[in-house]
Amino acid sequence: MRRYSVTYFLSQSLKGLWRNGLMTLAAVTVLLSCLVLMGSFASLVYNVNVNIEEVAKLNEIIVIVDYGASDEEVAEIAKQLDSLPNISSIEYVSKEEGLESESQRYEEYSYIFEEIADENPLPDVFKITYEDNSRVANLVYQLNQIDHVRKVNNRTDIANDIESIKSGVSFIFIWFLAILFVISIFIIINTIKIGVESRSREITAMRYIGATNFFMMTPFILEGVFIGLISAVIAFLVQNGLYTYIYNMMSNNYKMIAIAPFVSIERFVVLGFLGIGVFAGMLGSAISLRRYMKV
Amino acid sequence: MIEFRDVSKIYPNGTVALENINLKIEDGEFVFIVGASGAGKSTLMHLLLREEKVTSGKLLVGDYDLTKIPNFKIPYYRRQLGMVFQDFKLFEKKTVYENVAFAMQVIGEPAKVIKRRVPTILSIVGLVDKYKNFPTELSGGEQQRVALARALANNPRIIIADEPTANIDPKMKMEIMNLLMKINSKGKTVIVVTHEKNIVDYFQKRVITIQNGHVVDDRVGGMYDETV
Repeated sequence: MRRYSVTYFLSQSLKGLWRNGLMTLAAVTVLLSCLVLMGSFASLVYNVNVNIEEVAKLNEIIVIVDYGASDEEVAEIAKQLDSLPNISSIEYVSKEEGLESESQRYEEYSYIFEEIADENPLPDVFKITYEDNSRVANLVYQLNQIDHVRKVNNRTDIANDIESIKSGVSFIFIWFLAILFVISIFIIINTIKIGVESRSREITAMRYIGATNFFMMTPFILEGVFIGLISAVIAFLVQNGLYTYIYNMMSNNYKMIAIAPFVSIERFVVLGFLGIGVFAGMLGSAISLRRYMKV
Repeated sequence: MIEFRDVSKIYPNGTVALENINLKIEDGEFVFIVGASGAGKSTLMHLLLREEKVTSGKLLVGDYDLTKIPNFKIPYYRRQLGMVFQDFKLFEKKTVYENVAFAMQVIGEPAKVIKRRVPTILSIVGLVDKYKNFPTELSGGEQQRVALARALANNPRIIIADEPTANIDPKMKMEIMNLLMKINSKGKTVIVVTHEKNIVDYFQKRVITIQNGHVVDDRVGGMYDETV
């Protein structure tokens, strides 16, 4: 039995894409729009989660030491903290380290920090993380009893609320993304279907010549794959530009909101776009061809 | 040989398209199939192409029993046939060369065989100089010659032409028919379904007349009797 060559199928599908240029353009436009829409939405979900997680890192208690407490008194506080239950970590941040850290965080205002360096207004602090949220009230009480502790800052109630908001938001976002994915696939299939139907005469003629289903389907499936690949590459470039623009804008104007740089999500975007693009292209072609694959 | 043994075709809506057809067409014969619209000619063609299954009876084409042929073998069966249609059914986005080459690519012919054979076939139908043209750039007669070339590409045993002269100018009609005669003279079975009385009468070949799903006349050297 004679074998069909891979180069034949590849050249046929590339010729098919070129000669049906308008339909190719329509399919690529629809697919890349859907990919960018999904990518933008997924990026939004990702960044919302990043921000929620930032806020949710509040199983932290800040123990502020009295101004003017001596090194011995600070050491005594550290010793007492070590002996308390329900503490998972203790980090001592001296007022000098605190100033340095703030100075780095707001480096464009470094001149202010330089001016106040000699009269550092920050206190020494201990950053404590705890293990069990249910016993935190008791821990806070014990911390307040330690000598030379000026204040205990604790935001566990907010942390709990945020955790539950995060679960709710993730649930809604995932469903919304899934619905968007299904709608996108549906639109893509219909676009490719129009392209295939405009070539129904060609498919019928193939059958009369004695073409097998494999021979008829392969170039169309490959066309779907190419449409997916082209769309994925363009969508990636568009997404990169769009994301970087928003990232720069937000970084400059809204420092309160943390945005992950594109490079941190790049791999997921590439794999996601290629996967969805190729899958949608192939599925679109296969579903569109199904009705022509009678004998 | 093509043999219809008591073949009937009844469509699911109850229409009886063909009833108890008995026919034998020997290898190398030239046959006209004539009849009014709705007589059953198209159904006969669809049965031969194995687009439709017979409802009862037996239909044999060469080594194939079309009443029993499994679906996966149908494309291979069709490669024994060269089909010519009144609307040409050419690939509009392929050149003349590619249209003919395509039939050979379908059966997996190597590229060098295709390269050698296509110009030969195009010379038979007189279209060598138009091999780069697209079908839309050709006249009806030229398009039909491309369709003939494509039908011949795989050296089929049987050529079936459905109204091959219907959409072409009178001058070209004879040219197409002469080409079909030439093909027949090389030993191929040629079946022409037509309405054209002048052509049928001119060539004086075997004429099978179908009416209301029955063969009502079958004679060699026959004429197109429109009263039948």
